[in-house]
Amino acid sequence: MSSGRSAAPLPYTDERHQMAAQFLTEEAHLLDTSDFEAWLELMDPQIRYRMPVRVTAVKAADETDVQTMHHFDEDWYSLRKRVQRFHTDYAWTEDPQSRIRHHVSNVRTFQGAGDELIVESAVLLYRSRGDRTAPSLLSAGRTDVLIPTEVGLRLRQRDIEIDESVLRTQNLAIFL
Amino acid sequence: MDNAVDGFAEPNGIADITGAVRQGLIPAFLYNDAEVHELERTRLFGRSWNFLAHESEIAQPDDYVVRNIGDDSFLVTRDSDGQIHVMFNMCVHRGMQVCRAERGSARTFRCPYHAWTYRNDGRLAGLPFHADAYGGEAGFVKEGQALLAAPSVAIRNGMIFASLDPDAPDFETWLGDYAFYLDFYTGQSEAGMEFRGPQRWRVEANWKIGAENFMGDSYHTPHTHASVVDIELFGEPKPYKRKEGVLWHAGPGGGTTYKLPPGSDFRSGLAYVGYPDEMIDRMAAALSPAQRALVDEPGFMPSASTLFPNLSFVHNWPQTDAEGRITPFISVRLWQPVGPGETEVYSWFCVAADAPDDYKAASYKAYLMCFGSSGMFEQDDVENWVSITTMARGSMARNLLLNNRMGLTLDGDPIVSQFDGFGGPGTAYQGFGEHNQRHWFSMWADLVSRPAPARQPMAFGMGERPA
Repeated sequence: MSSGRSAAPLPYTDERHQMAAQFLTEEAHLLDTSDFEAWLELMDPQIRYRMPVRVTAVKAADETDVQTMHHFDEDWYSLRKRVQRFHTDYAWTEDPQSRIRHHVSNVRTFQGAGDELIVESAVLLYRSRGDRTAPSLLSAGRTDVLIPTEVGLRLRQRDIEIDESVLRTQNLAIFL
Repeated sequence: MDNAVDGFAEPNGIADITGAVRQGLIPAFLYNDAEVHELERTRLFGRSWNFLAHESEIAQPDDYVVRNIGDDSFLVTRDSDGQIHVMFNMCVHRGMQVCRAERGSARTFRCPYHAWTYRNDGRLAGLPFHADAYGGEAGFVKEGQALLAAPSVAIRNGMIFASLDPDAPDFETWLGDYAFYLDFYTGQSEAGMEFRGPQRWRVEANWKIGAENFMGDSYHTPHTHASVVDIELFGEPKPYKRKEGVLWHAGPGGGTTYKLPPGSDFRSGLAYVGYPDEMIDRMAAALSPAQRALVDEPGFMPSASTLFPNLSFVHNWPQTDAEGRITPFISVRLWQPVGPGETEVYSWFCVAADAPDDYKAASYKAYLMCFGSSGMFEQDDVENWVSITTMARGSMARNLLLNNRMGLTLDGDPIVSQFDGFGGPGTAYQGFGEHNQRHWFSMWADLVSRPAPARQPMAFGMGERPA
């Protein structure tokens, strides 16, 4: 998918970069305001949404050789189920809701094959629940494939590189 | 230490606690108490059989993983000859953690501190300046030295267990009739199983809650997991369906089942939960006639289960695509205590090693949607368990005995007689009940009542001299 990616990131003044950066900001806003239906609209029907489990490996080894598992390996069906679940009256883990904030930064946009955009970003998710437990933080890098459509950019693929091997949050009832 | 736990009822301490839990009354503070945690760490986990890894995780010679039992880090290796070893991951020289990666492949491990080097079977291969610094064998007997081996090790269905107790009961004898049920999770194919993972995450919950829940809590499913029924991800956990299930306990474990549709036999029962013919053939060959009969009319399908103390299994069959395909999955999970109010969850996906690729992929997807760090079932479970643990920390929890007596009259008689149409060994009741949780707590009480195993310190490099 990322073949044909430009060697250097597009200049920040490039309109394609600005569109991509705005896409990520608007997406984060939808997640932070629990507008999951609108968030799902940003997904291409062919979406692959993946987050491998990070493994602590010796420096000489390629970590991907010892990765065997994902936290997320989603398609449109499973993402839709997750969104539907939040809308039921029984999704206890998010009722009361977490207070969440996606901090998105370090956006680098590359021209991909055809009219695809490859977009790298960093995301820091702050999540606070109730008033008894400490808030949790999730830090991750993301590599996205965005495709232009008549109704704007759509997310075709997201590969999330989470920065922990052992997550310090009670569950992933969130999207990164 | 016997009287150390004073929060409940002086002067008997632990005796009063174990007395209460044997009656089905759980002092609420057991879910978040430093002294109870210390008793569990030394007495319970100091004696129990603990799951570490599956052979498929170290499939090739020289593969290794690093796993914990409580606070103790173990290197689980397959040596260059294919033999499996479980070794305490502490350099015998100055105590550094020898291997700090989680998994990989290595013929030797070199301690980062002073470069002492161990073969992957644990033997000390070399230490710098043995002659100059120690005078050779006159000062440090290198011959025969090795990383400290786990006191007891056993392997069943490719699952590697270890006990910190050198006098641990024989594993197979201890496992007893639980073996009958274990095969439904990790004995589905004569080719063995393949473990993927684990996902690891830490939750601010006491480890006992997950273990008890998987052991037999069919009562929580219709409510806690109502959302997954609502979105038609998994249709089974409706109240009337769970009520028809049998709760069984056998040997050191127990579990829940779902009743299969009337008239089911082994093949149709497995097909109902989504196993394709090729998988049913494998299970028919791997399971005994008695095991197969569990699925025959009046058929029951194993769902959640716990093997004492903290290893759990789950087998569910959600809808994995928009077209309505039903696919079963198996997850194996460990509730590893980190502290009185914190647990590290290890959750593996498990599938027959020789399953067709498309089945493996669908089953993996079923797992990820339902269980594990992102699973839609598990999300709601953990919310409850964190809340229990938080509530258990205060003073009022010391005044509360939680009721764990479901299925018993006040006089202690079962409200229904044992279900005699169940094809498996052990004790079986149809309908809701906390029989299994009480069984789990009786094992808990047995272990926390006994002093920890005596220590037998080993001196290294001293040859045959006494320490």
